[in-house]
Amino acid sequence: MIPLSYNVRSLLVRKTTTVATALGIGLVVFVLASAFMLGTGITKTMVGAGNSSNAIVLRKGSDTEMASSLEVSTLGMIGAAPGVKRSSAGTSLLSGEIVIVIAQDKLGTQGQVSNVLVRGVPPTALEVRPEVHVVAGHPPRPGTDEVMIGKGLRGKYAGMDLEQSFDLKKNRPLKVVGVFESGGSSFESEVWCDVDTARSSFGRDGLVSSVTVRLDSPSKFDAFKATMESDKRLGLEALTEPAYYEKQSSGTSLFIKIMGGVIVFFLSGGAMIGALITMLAAVSQRQREVGTLRALGFSRFSILTSFLLESAVLSLAGGLLGIACALCMSFVKLSMMNFATWQEVTFSFDPNPAVLVGSLVFGGFMGILGGFYPALRAASVSPIEAMRD
Amino acid sequence: MGDAEKGSSKGTMISLEKVRKSFMRGKEQLDVLGGLDLTIEEGSFEALMGPSGSGKSTLLNLIAGLDQPTSGKVIINGSDIGSMSEGQRAGWRAANIGFVFQTYNLMPVLTAVENVELPLLLAKLPAAERRKRAEIALRAVGLEDRGGHLPSQLSGGQEQRVTIARAIVTDPKIIVADEPTGDLDRHSADEILKLLEKLNTEFGKTIVMVTHDPAAADRAKTVHRLDKGVLAN
Amino acid sequence: MGLVTIAVRNVWRNKLRTVLTLSAVTVLVIFFLLLRTVIWSWTASAEQGARDRIGTRHKVSFIMQLPRRYVEEMRSIPGIKQVAHASWFGAKDPNHTDDFFGTIAVEPKEFLEVYDEIKLPKDQFETWQQDRQGAIVGDVLAKKRGWKLGQKIVLQGTIYPGNWEYHISGIYTANSPTVDRSTLYFQYKYLDESRPQRLQDQVGWVMARVDDPGRAAEIAKAVDKKFEDRDIQTLSMSERALQASFLGMVSAILRLIDVVSVVMVLIMGLILGNTIAMGVRERTHEYGVLRAIGFLPKHIVMFILSEGLVLGMLGGIIGLAIGYPFVQKGMGPAMEENLGAFFAFFRVTPELVVTSFFLAAALGLIAAIIPARNAAKLEVVSALRRVG
Repeated sequence: MIPLSYNVRSLLVRKTTTVATALGIGLVVFVLASAFMLGTGITKTMVGAGNSSNAIVLRKGSDTEMASSLEVSTLGMIGAAPGVKRSSAGTSLLSGEIVIVIAQDKLGTQGQVSNVLVRGVPPTALEVRPEVHVVAGHPPRPGTDEVMIGKGLRGKYAGMDLEQSFDLKKNRPLKVVGVFESGGSSFESEVWCDVDTARSSFGRDGLVSSVTVRLDSPSKFDAFKATMESDKRLGLEALTEPAYYEKQSSGTSLFIKIMGGVIVFFLSGGAMIGALITMLAAVSQRQREVGTLRALGFSRFSILTSFLLESAVLSLAGGLLGIACALCMSFVKLSMMNFATWQEVTFSFDPNPAVLVGSLVFGGFMGILGGFYPALRAASVSPIEAMRD
Repeated sequence: MGDAEKGSSKGTMISLEKVRKSFMRGKEQLDVLGGLDLTIEEGSFEALMGPSGSGKSTLLNLIAGLDQPTSGKVIINGSDIGSMSEGQRAGWRAANIGFVFQTYNLMPVLTAVENVELPLLLAKLPAAERRKRAEIALRAVGLEDRGGHLPSQLSGGQEQRVTIARAIVTDPKIIVADEPTGDLDRHSADEILKLLEKLNTEFGKTIVMVTHDPAAADRAKTVHRLDKGVLAN
Repeated sequence: MGLVTIAVRNVWRNKLRTVLTLSAVTVLVIFFLLLRTVIWSWTASAEQGARDRIGTRHKVSFIMQLPRRYVEEMRSIPGIKQVAHASWFGAKDPNHTDDFFGTIAVEPKEFLEVYDEIKLPKDQFETWQQDRQGAIVGDVLAKKRGWKLGQKIVLQGTIYPGNWEYHISGIYTANSPTVDRSTLYFQYKYLDESRPQRLQDQVGWVMARVDDPGRAAEIAKAVDKKFEDRDIQTLSMSERALQASFLGMVSAILRLIDVVSVVMVLIMGLILGNTIAMGVRERTHEYGVLRAIGFLPKHIVMFILSEGLVLGMLGGIIGLAIGYPFVQKGMGPAMEENLGAFFAFFRVTPELVVTSFFLAAALGLIAAIIPARNAAKLEVVSALRRVG
């Protein structure tokens, strides 16, 4: 076997060409990794809001909380269903919430308006969702015009920060009294207010958008679902929280992944041809060298593998650079519209190890594919070349 | 040229006085030529010979205006080329020197006649005029029927002949040749040398040639031997 | 014979390498055409927004409805010529639940007057007006679903649950290719009469035609002022401003696509630069000979730059020759049919063709700058020393 150091040194001798080709592959790996990091980031953000011990009840046929409405009278029946966990005081852990999207002025634009999700919650909401933590201030007090905002909203909209207030409508200011975080999930792009305040402000008397319950354990879901959906007149539908958020995000996430795939398809085509050009030139430049190696006794196969390895080293080097840059993207936060709910959500690029390793491997694969024909050419060089002029 | 004129500036084409040439390799200084004096009359046919590393190519470069001496004077055809800028020397070369290198003289993408026309592009002559002069030069080297061929379609000897045609198309006073026969077989080499001789005796060109080939040295009128940067004789 | 001849011939010196380079550039040019057309198509509908229309919605949330009497009140505001209301219904086709298309409830006559991009034959309009359950669908949607005139279809409501039956009274087209032709419009009274009383007499938003497009923003403000002190306030904007807001929400994606465009340009530049640099390196001795016979560094630079330019231009031309029909005739209709809700009009603009060509040419030129500079900086004697 030809030692790898031969290949590495050959690469280092043709510095410019090596760097240019490696950069090309690196760029493609960067785009691939970033696209899939965003895709998984979207899923993670959306699904991260979902706790598998929670179930969400909507009206049958509604895709999102916004389109759904349930009568307040159903709350009692839902709370009494089997599997619903009880608090220490003996009450059911359920949260009937009202979800609405409002238009607010974005900071840093000229009067551009964007959609923010407002969730009217009862005091039990924090018990039902233990992953939500108030990090500044305090939760809104029932019956008041106080709200708390997810930390992803800070600095984005006019009047949405601690101790500030923004107008819901004329002469109806809402005061921000707290900031909460929830592990990077989509809740962090929401405004939470008291459910009765929401009900009266948005004309939802006697209604809630959805009911979220905490179950004793995830295994209790099936029984709970059966109970919910048994009465056809009520027209209810139950999903586990993760399943619900999965549905919410799948459209957007899939869109990003497909876009990423198409983009990478074209870019990698270009980069592979780039690798092909480079390796072809290298092979023709080193004909005498290869002839010498053959004359010394190295087999065609070892020449083939040697050049394939060289392509692999080249592309992996570029790929590592691409991965490194993609990792930097994990510090970037993107405000994008979630197609399912029309709200603007802050997504981040999730540095998923599987994505990173997969992208690196893809980069190596690109290089090997591009370098295959040149490697074959190298392997076909005969020992006589060593003697040539 | 009579005795009285020997050494006088009128007959002297090339004059090198106390010429030194040193290169820096990293931190080391390499002295290639040390305090050379050389005089070449107009119409001479000189050969420069010497072992590898003797500095003969360096000397040729100085004479051809391709490089500048570290110290000393290089006066050619009345011009002190040692003190010219690179841009000035390029223009001077175009007018005064014809080049014949060992190999890869011609542009592979141009035909023979187009290659010969190249120096005339610098003289900014109209296309018809360029073509005419190039064909005359090709005829002088006996390749007028090969004008439309690419270098890849010519033999080694023919390529060198086209090179010579290019070297004379601007009618320079001096032809500088660096191992012109180095890559050729005996027969072709002889052809080239005969051609050079013809240029010297019939057209009065001053020829300075670096060579390893004893047959080439025989054709020259004077042979200078270099060793370790100094002329032997 | 001159600079151009030499440049063109040098490009074909190494046929395989040139073909490969041109292939790579072609792939990337096709991709560039695709990418920029996606952005253009998305934003084109925004630019087509009528200048003489304003839209009015509930100030707090676009989900909330306006009282129907507001529509009448708006008629009397100076500057407003015609008014029509519309309400989002949000239905799904039970046989294709994943397929998105819009369903909107309107007052047929007023709606067609104000939203005059839509073209409907008079007899189909008559049929629609007279049928409470009548609906008109865009021709793209009708073709996709195979719906015919007079057909009865059933859709599932999401906001208003249950099965809703419609009769296809008409199939509309549009007066401009960028207008969406994948929506179903039906009679407002069908919706209003079928929902609970407390939800009746409400509309989703109001479109109004103004008499002076230059005063659209002013008139929008006047509308909002009128309802400012009511319980339910309005938010009005010219249609242009509305579309701009919408684009603002997807601006992140558009910016991402821009980033990808930059990456693509970089890759193209790297490949071109690499190829040119290789060629230049292989011809070092040749440039040395040229310098020897009197050519100046600037001449060498011009040789190399022209070669880069020619290579770039060739790549652009071939890329366009293949890419243009691919996007225009192949992808375009496919996108319009299947994703008509997002990309009503998916075509390559003449500006894009010109831009792509100049981009490829410029890249070829720019990619040649560094190799040209390096070749020019080399001393004649060093260049001559190299072999080949």
